[in-house]
Amino acid sequence: MKKTLLIALSLGVTVAATSTLATAMDPETDRQQLVDYFQAKNPKIAVDEYVNGAYIYSADKMQQWEAAEEFPPYLDAIDAGEAHYNKDIATYEKCFGTDVSAIRPKYPYFDEKTQQVVTLEGAINSCRTDAGLKAYKWKKGALAQVSAYLAYNARGQKINVKIDTDGARAAYEAGRNIYIKPTGQLNLSCAKCHTYNAGRKARSNLLSPILGHTTHFPVFRAKWQNLGTLHRRYGGCHKNMRAKPFKAQSEEYRNLEFFEAYVSNGLKINGPGYRE
Amino acid sequence: MNSKMKQLLTALALSTAVLTVPATVQAAEKAASAIDEGKKLAFSRSKGNCLACHMVADGAMPGNIGPAIIAMKLRFPDKQKLFDKVWGTPESQTVPNSMMPPFGQNGILTDSEIHKIVDYIYTL
Ligand code: HEC
Ligand code: HEC
Repeated sequence: MKKTLLIALSLGVTVAATSTLATAMDPETDRQQLVDYFQAKNPKIAVDEYVNGAYIYSADKMQQWEAAEEFPPYLDAIDAGEAHYNKDIATYEKCFGTDVSAIRPKYPYFDEKTQQVVTLEGAINSCRTDAGLKAYKWKKGALAQVSAYLAYNARGQKINVKIDTDGARAAYEAGRNIYIKPTGQLNLSCAKCHTYNAGRKARSNLLSPILGHTTHFPVFRAKWQNLGTLHRRYGGCHKNMRAKPFKAQSEEYRNLEFFEAYVSNGLKINGPGYRE
Repeated sequence: MNSKMKQLLTALALSTAVLTVPATVQAAEKAASAIDEGKKLAFSRSKGNCLACHMVADGAMPGNIGPAIIAMKLRFPDKQKLFDKVWGTPESQTVPNSMMPPFGQNGILTDSEIHKIVDYIYTL
């Protein structure tokens, strides 16, 4: 009796999660449960702070990171992004309007016509190819730079992903399943690292919480020595799990981004970011 | 003790051992090398990579996702149960959402590699 109770308690979120999965899932209840879970786990960390990734769990690392952000290595990339943008500005303004600060906050969104999630990077490349321009490469380079320029201009605005149709709910659920389901040779899931063990260390790597995962992308990583998109990172984590990564901008990763962005609703956009 | 002296003593100890009970020494050496191999397999990033999640003896930069690998004999009086835990038999997987990979089940390590790792951690 006592034992079953304990197991039920330690299952916590999962029990609630699977039962909502069985019935029609309500993304807002799901998001709120996740926020509650993180608050219960670390009552001293305010929700706003989740935009800073793993650094919120270590005063030392936070200090080093703040020092790095004073002369951030991504400034040249923002300038390069602006130059790319201005080179094709007539095309971009037709797609996105003239206010560069208003673009990033609209993504990702669920497009009812195509019944697909549209990401910022996806929209940039569709805008280009629709106008007869060449698409950028997906994971780094010009695309990441333009994305960084647009994120930079939108800093301080809030993530505000809307779900109010069955199609959008289905995309959220599909992304959530990828996040939760163990996969690959090591039998790991995104949730095992970024929900259940957020704040713990894998070797010397502090694990970041899912909340805020999308706020600061694209990211300049010391390890990459350049800027990379969110989907580049997803691919890296899937490889570390010894699982086959999906392609950048595949339906799977767009749904995953949609899910991760939705649960980060209300957090401030602070991209591009710097990470180890 | 100075190192010369130590060498001498070891040499003596070894030679007497070889002279008197060669069979046990060979067995002991074999066991010792299996334990060494077990340690290498446990620490190697491409094999066990146990340090990703566990503190293990003097291993550098351990993670802290799983419990420290210590007092294994106390925790697992039945060595087979320890093997099963690392292998990942269904009965051994009792912790919900555990990060512990099922090393045998998923073919990450061979049974013989797992035996060596278990021999090693059983000394901790
Ligand atoms: C074995 C552990 C592990 C698993 C499983 C894992 N990751 Fe990661 N992930 C890491 C580590 C370590 C980092 C780098 C430190 C950090 O920022 O969390 C990281 C970083 C990230 C980041 C960047 C965070 C930031 O602040 O810039 C994102 C986004 C991410 N992971 C998403 C995922 C997704 C989605 C999955 C599943 C497809 C996943 N991860 C699976 C360990 C893992
Ligand atoms: C990706 C993380 C991870 C890796 C890699 C890992 N473990 Fe674990 N291990 C865990 C977690 C988490 C637990 C606790 C939950 C459980 O028992 O399943 C655990 C539990 C154990 C236990 C049970 C401890 C006890 O006292 O109940 C043993 C023994 C163990 N691991 C040995 C190993 C060995 C040996 C290796 C390497 C071959 C290894 N682990 C690799 C995460 C990991």
